[in-house]
Amino acid sequence: MALLEVRDLSVTYSPRDSAAVRAVDRVSFEVHDGEFVGLLGESGCGKSTLGNAVLRLLDRPAAITGGTIRFDGQDVTTTPEDDLRSLRWVDLSTVFQSSMNSLNPVITVRRQFADTFEAHSDALGNDLDVDARATELLEMVSLDRSVLSRFPHELSGGMKQRVALALALALEPRFVLLDEPTTGLDVVVQRDILDRLRVLQARLGFAVLFISHDLGTVMELADRVMVMYAGEIVEDQPAAEMVTRHLHPYSAGLLGSYADPRDQVVEVEFIPGRPPDLSQPHAGCLFQPRCPVAVDACRTVHPELLPASLGQVRCLLVEQSGDARVVLEKAAELRRRDQVFAAGLSERADAEPVLVVDGVSKVYKTRRGLNTTLTQAVDDVSFALRPGQVTALVGQSGSGKTTIARILTGVERPTAGSVRFKDEPVDHLGRGALRKYRRHVQLVFQDPFSALNPTRTVAYALSRPLRNHLGLTGAEARARAAELLETVGLSPADQYLDKLPHQLSGGQRQRVVIARALAPEPEVVVADEPISMLDVSIRAEIIALLDQLVRDRGIAMLYITHDLLSARLLADEVMVLNQGVMVERGPTLDVIAEAKDPYTRKLLAAIPRPGARDIA
Amino acid sequence: MTTTPETIDTEALRVTALDADASSRLPGWFVILWRNGKCRVGMLMLAAFIVIAVLAPVIAPYGPRLDEFGASEGPSAAHWLGTTARGEDVFSQLIYGARTSLIVGLVAGVLSTLIAMAVGLTAGYLRGVVDEVLSFFINLGLVVPVLPLMIVLAGYAPVKGLGLIIIVITVTGWAYGARIKRAQIITLRTRDYITAAKFAGDSTARIIAFEIVPNMISLIVVGFMGAALGAIGAEAGLAFLGLGDPQTVSWGTMLNQASLGGALTTGQWAWLVAPGLALALLITSFTLMNFGIDALSNPHLRED
Amino acid sequence: MLYFVRRAGFFLATLWAAVTLNFLIPRLQPGDPAQAMLNRLQGETTAVNPAQLEAIRKLLGTPDGNLLSQYWDYLGAICTGHFGVSYSYFPYTVTAMISSALPWTLILVGVTQMLSFAIGTLLGAWAAYRRNSRVDSVITLGSTFVGTLPFFWLALLLIFVFAITLNWFPDGGGYGGGSSPSWTWLFVSDAFQHSVLPAVALLITGPIGWIIGMRNNMVQTLGEDYARLARAKGLPRRRIALTYGARIAILPNVTGFAIALGSLLGGTVLVETIFNYPGLGRLLLEAVSNKDYPLMQALFLFTTIGVLTANFLADVTYGFLDPRVRRAEAV
Repeated sequence: MALLEVRDLSVTYSPRDSAAVRAVDRVSFEVHDGEFVGLLGESGCGKSTLGNAVLRLLDRPAAITGGTIRFDGQDVTTTPEDDLRSLRWVDLSTVFQSSMNSLNPVITVRRQFADTFEAHSDALGNDLDVDARATELLEMVSLDRSVLSRFPHELSGGMKQRVALALALALEPRFVLLDEPTTGLDVVVQRDILDRLRVLQARLGFAVLFISHDLGTVMELADRVMVMYAGEIVEDQPAAEMVTRHLHPYSAGLLGSYADPRDQVVEVEFIPGRPPDLSQPHAGCLFQPRCPVAVDACRTVHPELLPASLGQVRCLLVEQSGDARVVLEKAAELRRRDQVFAAGLSERADAEPVLVVDGVSKVYKTRRGLNTTLTQAVDDVSFALRPGQVTALVGQSGSGKTTIARILTGVERPTAGSVRFKDEPVDHLGRGALRKYRRHVQLVFQDPFSALNPTRTVAYALSRPLRNHLGLTGAEARARAAELLETVGLSPADQYLDKLPHQLSGGQRQRVVIARALAPEPEVVVADEPISMLDVSIRAEIIALLDQLVRDRGIAMLYITHDLLSARLLADEVMVLNQGVMVERGPTLDVIAEAKDPYTRKLLAAIPRPGARDIA
Repeated sequence: MTTTPETIDTEALRVTALDADASSRLPGWFVILWRNGKCRVGMLMLAAFIVIAVLAPVIAPYGPRLDEFGASEGPSAAHWLGTTARGEDVFSQLIYGARTSLIVGLVAGVLSTLIAMAVGLTAGYLRGVVDEVLSFFINLGLVVPVLPLMIVLAGYAPVKGLGLIIIVITVTGWAYGARIKRAQIITLRTRDYITAAKFAGDSTARIIAFEIVPNMISLIVVGFMGAALGAIGAEAGLAFLGLGDPQTVSWGTMLNQASLGGALTTGQWAWLVAPGLALALLITSFTLMNFGIDALSNPHLRED
Repeated sequence: MLYFVRRAGFFLATLWAAVTLNFLIPRLQPGDPAQAMLNRLQGETTAVNPAQLEAIRKLLGTPDGNLLSQYWDYLGAICTGHFGVSYSYFPYTVTAMISSALPWTLILVGVTQMLSFAIGTLLGAWAAYRRNSRVDSVITLGSTFVGTLPFFWLALLLIFVFAITLNWFPDGGGYGGGSSPSWTWLFVSDAFQHSVLPAVALLITGPIGWIIGMRNNMVQTLGEDYARLARAKGLPRRRIALTYGARIAILPNVTGFAIALGSLLGGTVLVETIFNYPGLGRLLLEAVSNKDYPLMQALFLFTTIGVLTANFLADVTYGFLDPRVRRAEAV
């Protein structure tokens, strides 16, 4: 008997003022004692909702509308909250997505542990030494006991997440649900916590359902991986099998969007289109509109999750053909034509630099009462940007990447050193000169949801730089705006000009942001993590667009990222920044293949290796 | 009264309004407010008060200060709500009183919203020393006891009148709105689209007017309604205390004269109850409208 | 620590601003309030002592002499407690008048406001705990309805019904006509009887702001991740509501309490006037109607200082309640 048994579970959101959405649709799966199961999917596919349903933590307007959840043989689908309490945490615990907010802000870490023990004193007995047990737990996640007397706001994000993990293990549960437990943390910290988790899991033997969109991590950690799409599980295979012999076209697309930057040939692909609207009924396969190998039957017949290979898959083609591999090979071939982006090198490596940064430093003064603290954000950094070339700036948050971007674009003035644009110093510009300078230097932002004013149309957003920098107005500006949209692949442009940002998908918004940056025909573009907020399946799309624009238009690009894969794909040159100091710099291939600096190696080591566990 | 949360999602509300805009000939904000049941009732009530105020000379049977009737009479067919101690018709005064309340609410509401916007936007957008200084004044305005200040200001004034009351209310009532607007602009100014507008070459004034203010419309409307409500209440209070112009017909002066004119002892409950009830209904209409706006802009408060 | 230093700094700065405002208001008036005041005092039968005249000049302004030296004299007069004589209660000094009225207001307002805060917070928390139930709608709609009723009108109705029609309570005043203030059982029970209606008037509308504020805050905190995690941890529902909901939701109400104190005093003026209650509010209104400028000035200054002090205390309390503020600098 499985530890957790979910049968035909459906969850529906029924908001008062809009149509009901079937977020989870007849999902069935099992998790066995001690098993580590990954649940993979894009945002909005229903994976977190499924997690909350399993924990019985759904709040209105979401509710379980069908199916059963059995835990250790006991049906808990409709168990009243009070009876559920004895099961909670003792058997089944969780770590939430972004623990920034999952610890009570007004009580100490000690109290959060004590709370938990008190609530289950009948199971634990009353003579438990809270401090001793909590210390032991904190040590398991490499935290010092001094953390006990701290309040959550006094801990860093990584520390909070460790506390949350220690808390989850406090009662030695048999099942732990981890919902994106490391999203938003620095890569090195992420790596550390996940390594710790795997060790603890092996030692304590609890089962894990690990929900994430981070493909590499899931593939590396999990024994078995389930892929979810549009509220359904579409494939369920052992991890090693999933890496090499996945069957569903969606799994193939997702896996294709990931590559190891250390490989000789690095290629990524993307899945065009967007997930279906789940408030509407759909007759056929939900993935059919985005599927490269769909046949006519896919439009009308809804496939079932059926056994295939070592697991299960939900695909008509696999169902029908005796040999599923043939189907997928065909699919791969089809995708290869227009959905793959391969890392390549620029031919214009020796062009004259357009922007030169020379020995730039930035010191921030923060005053607290009478004490003044000096923070060295950037320390003596020099580099040059050349037309038609991408220079990647890699580092963790707080490494000074953003400060460099701000100095480059004139938002901030350097404490020492100089920035020259075509031999003109641009590091201490006045208001008017700064405005002129920004004709030549533009920004692409990280979060496409915050980069466009929600109350302004696409045409308005594009018309402002056209008017201010190029003097275009009226119909002229509108025609140019339409051209720009076509350039970034939003075609036909007329369909997009009068849209408001919320009527566009994340990827479309990011294209508009890029179009706006291109509007004044800049020589330099600074792209600040332009893909980190996008879904994995469309990241490669944006990378390909940026690459094409840089090469076609001879733009010099500074590409800021924490992610070595995208740097490998896009950049000709990589610079690694650690605590404001540039620790490594060179052609992308050299830096990744033969990193010299220990920090760069640490960054490289943090990259997950899918399937690595089975090899080891 | 509903409290306005300090960080409400005013951007989302504006977007809903724009969507509604596209699907209807009426302005978008009106459409969403109309869709909310409580809000609709509030708007209808307010519309009724406005109609009464505008058409007061037509509706009221007598002049509000016509004192040729018998003093302190109870309700009768000729005088539905009786007469005052001076022999005036209470019902006519009640009708004309709507004018005073609405004018004070509108004028003082607009003036204090303008001051609040100027101070709040400047402090929030510029930050630094300007912010420190303005914030100090905002906080000072919040903690100073308002009614005693109003009373002292009104006490020194050589002439009493509606204008004075409006000025006093405005001077003492802008701080809360300014604080909320400052908090909102501080969150809005860090948005990437503001940086993008700077990179697009837009001026600061244009950024505030075209990028920030449209995203604060709901907050400004809520702020105005709060200020208008406060002003209506304050006018009634000051007039009730006898600090207004006794010649102005307002619900506050009516209550003042009712309590001085012995309505309590002669049992003229209609003279006492009617003005208070009218005031309560006007306040209710604002509160109902506020409910609608609050529920829309704060998803946590939506009933589901 | 920094938090407390900042709050203390703000307290001193607002104190200074209030004192300066008090200096400026009479001097910005058209005409010469001080002269008008002196003329009227001259008409009194008892001789006015020259030192008292001097004090009035210092407080309300001198026609000649520069503003700076006037300001200096004014500060001196305030620091030494020379507020001059009252015109309407001549020959009593302003200080004497205020100290006899102060206890009445302090007790009435202090007790009712504490009660309002407690009742309001409890009801609000209960409504949030039982969100979307009948209890919630009764509390929310009920308080919204009562909140729309003008407060002074309610007070009038209370007198009309309970004092005049039913004759259960006296219709005004702080104590019965025959007695004079003393600490005897008779007097205290008499004073209590007189304070019931004003207190009820203050208590009907007092809790409403706290009810709605607390409910909305707590609905929000109960929706946060930490409250959900507490549920996942199997904590009892009541425990979650207290430690994870109410405990955090009450914090904005404490700051709100500090800010609301200023406007609470407004209610006092109204209630004391209606009930003819011998407190500061009624004294202020009398001073205003008699154009008793020295008394008016001193009363405004006193109430402002009182409010600022209470506000400062509320801020300090907040600092102790919210570790995020208190220990923000600790690490």
